[in-house]
Amino acid sequence: MNGDASHSKKKPKLSPPEISAEFSHHDPAVARINNGSFGCCPRSVTAAQRDWQHQFLRQPDNFFLNLLQPAISRSRSLVASLVNAPHVDQISLVDNATTAAAIFLQHCAWSFAEGRFSPGDAAVMLHYAYGAVKKSVEAYITRAGGHVIEVDLPFPVKSEDEIITEFRKALAKGKSEGRKVRIAVIDHVTSMPAVVIPVKELVKICREEGVEQVFVDAAHGIGCVDVDVQEIGADFYTSNLHKWFFCPPSVAFLYCRNQSNAGGDTQLQLHHPVVSHEYGNGLPVESGWIGTRDYSAQLVVPSAAEFVERFPGGIDGIKAGNHSAVVEMGEMLAKAWGTNLGSPPEMCGSMIMVGLPACLGIGSESDSLKLRTHLRDCFAVEVPIYFNKRRHDRRGEEEAGGVITGYVRISYQVYNKVEDYERLRDAVDKLVNDGFTCASLVEPESD
Amino acid sequence: METSEDHGNGELNHLTKKPRLTRFITESAIADEFAHHQPGVARINNGSFGSCPGSVLSSQREWQLKFLRQPDDFYFNGLRKGILRSRTLVKDLVGAADVEEVSLIDNATTGAAIVLQQIGRAFAEGRFDRNDAVLMFHCAFQAVKKSMEAYVRRAGGSVIEVRLPFPILCDEEIITEFRKGLEKAKSNGRKVRLAIIDHITSMPSVVTPVKELVRICREEGVDQVFVDAAHAIGSVEVNVQEIGADFYVSNLHKWFFCPPSVAFLYCKKSGSSLDAHHPVVSHEYGNGLPTESSWIGTRDYSSQLAVPTAFEFVNSFEGGIRGIMKRNHDEVVKMGEMLAESWGTNLGAPPEMCASMVMVGLPSRLYVTSDDDALRLRSHLRAYYGVEVPIHYQGPRDGEDGVKDEYGIVTAYVRISHQVYNTLDDYCKLRDAINQIVDNKKTCKTLLIE
Repeated sequence: MNGDASHSKKKPKLSPPEISAEFSHHDPAVARINNGSFGCCPRSVTAAQRDWQHQFLRQPDNFFLNLLQPAISRSRSLVASLVNAPHVDQISLVDNATTAAAIFLQHCAWSFAEGRFSPGDAAVMLHYAYGAVKKSVEAYITRAGGHVIEVDLPFPVKSEDEIITEFRKALAKGKSEGRKVRIAVIDHVTSMPAVVIPVKELVKICREEGVEQVFVDAAHGIGCVDVDVQEIGADFYTSNLHKWFFCPPSVAFLYCRNQSNAGGDTQLQLHHPVVSHEYGNGLPVESGWIGTRDYSAQLVVPSAAEFVERFPGGIDGIKAGNHSAVVEMGEMLAKAWGTNLGSPPEMCGSMIMVGLPACLGIGSESDSLKLRTHLRDCFAVEVPIYFNKRRHDRRGEEEAGGVITGYVRISYQVYNKVEDYERLRDAVDKLVNDGFTCASLVEPESD
Repeated sequence: METSEDHGNGELNHLTKKPRLTRFITESAIADEFAHHQPGVARINNGSFGSCPGSVLSSQREWQLKFLRQPDDFYFNGLRKGILRSRTLVKDLVGAADVEEVSLIDNATTGAAIVLQQIGRAFAEGRFDRNDAVLMFHCAFQAVKKSMEAYVRRAGGSVIEVRLPFPILCDEEIITEFRKGLEKAKSNGRKVRLAIIDHITSMPSVVTPVKELVRICREEGVDQVFVDAAHAIGSVEVNVQEIGADFYVSNLHKWFFCPPSVAFLYCKKSGSSLDAHHPVVSHEYGNGLPTESSWIGTRDYSSQLAVPTAFEFVNSFEGGIRGIMKRNHDEVVKMGEMLAESWGTNLGAPPEMCASMVMVGLPSRLYVTSDDDALRLRSHLRAYYGVEVPIHYQGPRDGEDGVKDEYGIVTAYVRISHQVYNTLDDYCKLRDAINQIVDNKKTCKTLLIE
């Protein structure tokens, strides 16, 4: 069910210099170790995107009436086959996982307003859920009268069992309070700190415990971990395509297991919050037109898939390569700094958390941001830093000097080189040798 | 309205390196700016999707490259400053009192969703009574009508439609219908919670007496007034304080040369805090709509960031945006009158109720009897004559004769636009195409569209 039938000749595999050329627009001075935040897009895909933009600008009426929807359908079909969704009608394209979360959570808010859910009914989410999703849960669930239960996750984490145990505890808590747990929002890969969650197992537990709807936030999913939506078994699954699947900013998909299309009960359907002409015709069609805007990022999914095929093993080959490289780099850094990894390699995808030396004195979120800025400005290293507040707060008196409270989240994508991580290693080594602490950093001027 | 010297965007000139050899932009430079438009197409539909000159597209590309080059640095150090700069220019342009009243969003459709979501919430949370009313024109843009269904009707509100008389002769006709609609809305002791007023209706297109209508809403105790001005900025004068609405939205990519897509939503500061939120909730939730809208997850914000370059483009014309508006208006009226004379038909509204678009009656002998017929004719014009123009079917109302030409009742109108790239030839092509179809004794139903 490959929607991209227009290329009959397969392009040859990319050589290392060709890969570099595809990413030559990246700032060459920067050790770009943060693919996780904003992703990346190769030249050949941005070129394809420009072609689509040009088609619209050239004759927008014709584009809108004759070209746009078939191209969106093509992209959706391709995504369906990538994630093993049985039917293309289950796949909608939206801007990003944040939008997908809003779509799902707004639907939950309606469920409260229309009496399908009762005040006090619970939503379960992970403590490390993405900040934007937490705000969305506040805006749509809490405001509508729902009760939120957070699953306390350990970090550093040693095994999947630790996560499963905490998840069961959270569900039991809901039960003991006499609450009906209506929905669960589960990350496939948490953002900060980045850990691969045993999502299939958690979905199974949800089914056992009668949780009605499970939404998997896999912003980092496709291209970073294996995604088979049928195997995972969630009701909803969203992933960004611009993070680890080489699409331009921005495009994501939302998979809905049981979504009826046009003609279904409009109250039971999910809807795009920006309502336009196609309202009521099913989420995929609604999302295909939300007013005049640039849809070109959605249209180049086939071009991104073509790019991926130019690597041995396609997306699976890239994933495997990224994973082993990021683990190798993580272990190199942990050894050099005398610290530890935040989770075992089998709980990592293309990102890994590496402890920073305790002497750097990361004592707050603000410290982690200041240090990140310092690394960018003085060492040309781009890497996000996680402040482990829980560990920091619970450290004993005698541990004060030695507890690791900060972790870098390093990513590995096809454009990265060993030198990128060596630069990070050396930068931190220098800071340690210079007796640097975060306390010495001045508060940055606000933007 | 601020003059072109006050924009304070001098520091952005490093983004565009256009040498200023003459005082104002020349005809050939304009043609160059729009060289990416498909040649051979008489593009008489700026109203639907707008247009964007090459220099603004270049600026947009630079912003896109900046993000791709180092996205983290862009996010932490460039994005918000850039958006604030754009918002400030818009605030000055539309006469808003405070930049905190101006948010940048994708398009007017998004603006409607923001306004209507908060109305729907008020119904759902019991702050409004079931069946309290929301008022809109019957010809409100289809997306807005659907949004009313999704947020108002669904939450228990009732929707009252005001008929827009068309063809129309004067503002009074609209004011009369509006008052009638308000009375109906208020009947049975209902509160009118929101009135949605188009500044320029889409199809059929007329400029409404929006200031007067807002005043009437205030007199009659309507809670909130939302002006859907998708077409307004760059085609009519806009002073949001004078208009006096609570919400005012307009697309910058239609008539203000911005890339697709960017619009502004003005929300008047009031005593009570505003409950309007961007529906895509992200980190900035609760920090005010402008800030919420400036980050709704990773996406391409370049069209919002390219706004200052659109101002630069506009200011390269004699008279700036006012000069452009006046010339567009004069030309589109002239062209409309030329077409009406050639076809023996009428204009749908007097020139003073038009901005940069005019409705021109199509010959009755085309026998347009439905929306499908209108679409068919439009497709035929595109495929066989290289003319792009939207067509409105205006069915006759019961008990009314309707406007007639020599041969029968006029049931359809073209909506012609004029923007700086249009030439006389565009309209001659349309004129001749229609005349040929009529001369060949073809009616809509018999037209080929492939």
